[in-house]
Amino acid sequence: MAEVLLKAISKRLGSNQVIDSLSLDIKNGEFVTLLGPSGCGKTTLLRMIAGLEAIDKGDLVVGGRRYNDIPSQHRKLAMVFQSYALFPHMTVAQNIRFGLTINKTPAETISRKLAWALDLLRLAGLDDRMPRHLSGGQRQRVALARALVLDPEVLLLDEPLSNLDAALRETAMEELKRIHHQVGTTILYVTHNQVEAMTMSERIAILNAGRLEQFDTPRVVYDAPATRFAASFIGSPAMNFLDGTIEVREEDAGVDTALGFIKLDKDRFGRAQQMTGRKVTVGIRPQNIAYAEHHESKRYSDTTLRVSVELVETLGDRSLVVSRGENGAVLRFLITRDIEIEPQEMIEVFLDGRRVHLFDPQTNSNVFVS
Amino acid sequence: MRIGSFAAESTKKALWAASIVIAVLFIVAPLYLLFKYAISDSASINTGGAPIPLWPFHPTFRSFTYLFSDSQFYGVIFNSLIIASCTVGMSMLLGVPAAYVLGRFRVPGRRALLLGLISVRLFPDIASVIPITEFLIKLRLQNTYTGVIFAHTLLALPYVIFIGMSAFESIPGDLEQQARVMGAGGFSIFFRVLFPLALPGLAAAAIYTFLLSWDEFIFAYFILGLGKISTLTLFLKQKLAYAPPQNLLAAISVLLSLPVIVFSLLLQKYMTAGITAGSVK
Repeated sequence: MAEVLLKAISKRLGSNQVIDSLSLDIKNGEFVTLLGPSGCGKTTLLRMIAGLEAIDKGDLVVGGRRYNDIPSQHRKLAMVFQSYALFPHMTVAQNIRFGLTINKTPAETISRKLAWALDLLRLAGLDDRMPRHLSGGQRQRVALARALVLDPEVLLLDEPLSNLDAALRETAMEELKRIHHQVGTTILYVTHNQVEAMTMSERIAILNAGRLEQFDTPRVVYDAPATRFAASFIGSPAMNFLDGTIEVREEDAGVDTALGFIKLDKDRFGRAQQMTGRKVTVGIRPQNIAYAEHHESKRYSDTTLRVSVELVETLGDRSLVVSRGENGAVLRFLITRDIEIEPQEMIEVFLDGRRVHLFDPQTNSNVFVS
Repeated sequence: MRIGSFAAESTKKALWAASIVIAVLFIVAPLYLLFKYAISDSASINTGGAPIPLWPFHPTFRSFTYLFSDSQFYGVIFNSLIIASCTVGMSMLLGVPAAYVLGRFRVPGRRALLLGLISVRLFPDIASVIPITEFLIKLRLQNTYTGVIFAHTLLALPYVIFIGMSAFESIPGDLEQQARVMGAGGFSIFFRVLFPLALPGLAAAAIYTFLLSWDEFIFAYFILGLGKISTLTLFLKQKLAYAPPQNLLAAISVLLSLPVIVFSLLLQKYMTAGITAGSVK
């Protein structure tokens, strides 16, 4: 177990700045997810920590030791590859023992740890199986067991669940959380799947084009996205974005947009007032928009908008409504599935003023988060 | 229209089937004849003008027992075995490290190197045999095991390197990196991960090398002549000079082909074994 410090780490591959002066401080025993779209540099960053890629600039400090120049095999960490990379010519037990054998661990310790890992990951009875005779979920657990027996200071996981089907992924997520709870190792988890990130991690680092967009708890990342990118990447269906100008009308501060005047909650009145006239991009999640007829009561800060329904997509328990304002601006929101709405219908919706996010159109950062 | 195309389709199929049957016959018929002659009694060969029977009148292993009663023949088999085995050893010793490096590392000038290797084999043996023999004579290696082994190693190396290289190349990079992250150094990675996984390919290369040396004639003939050390192929040539009965020649040929057939069957198993299946999903 150890804390991981990344100080202004940079990496360039050819003309491509893969990682751009990225800093992170990961606490001892923390479960941190590196989240971002493919090509954002998250896997490269993980590989740099593992020592499989060189660090061009910056410092990597793990457990108080500068890791930059320590070769991979001497770093006290373990990694699970996306492919699991099980040694195909070794049994499950041999795979799990591999790292311990290499490190010349006493035989007694090896067999104790093997038994511990087989038990922890519910692999009992599979010791003598070859990897090709295992299911996807079993392979994933063997890969995890093989990493955990090494007592790594940091456990690096590169999209370990991406090869599993949806149902299996859910149990695997629960299992991973349980194991983290039991073992307490610092975990760095790479994924492009926001559900995995939100479910398991204590903090999420959102990466985009080699830069850190936000590094915070799942709740903060969801409720107060630091950048427009963070806002659009987290949450499903994706956030609505509308361009507008900050204005104060009567008692309310808000943004004048193509859909109308969108009010902010009273708590932000003072700060919004100071920014009157500023061009911003409004972001509001489909979850924070309510169909007026089925909403019990309108709150004081809610905005009422009139839109025409264009399309209703069933998502299962809920439906996604795609609607447009008079001048064509699109607004997506969710309704419970027992509500019947027909295309072409004109309806009213409420926007929750507390959940209206404002981003600077130039810097893309949240004007209220600094 | 549909019936017409259906008819055309079945004609096509029939033609395909016929061509396959003919091709198989072309390959199998000589093998059958060889085997048949090897177990023929002399009456089935010298029929005095009557047609030669498809199956010998009295199948017999006399040709084989005759061969094995000849002490010279044991020496010949021993020589062939020694030369083939040493060729395998030498080729692997030199070829596997080269294959490993070419298969797993970025080698500057790799393409040129591979081209050079392959071009060695583009020359017909009969063209390269003179300079090589000349060279071996200068080294006083004519009429020695070492000389033939040297020549055969030269012939086999490009194959060993090529087959071995693709064996090493096909191992997913993740496995090597995984081993490294787990604390394995270069030697451990090679001997515990890469070598075992490349083994089927390397075994195929070794078998191929063995067979290449086992039935090689031209180089053996030029380097050993018909001197003290004789190999199976030279022995066959030598016997041929005395116009012996066909059944004896056929028996030698059968013995010569036996390892080829056995190893080819083994090789096939290795070639199709998808040993890396299951490592990487």
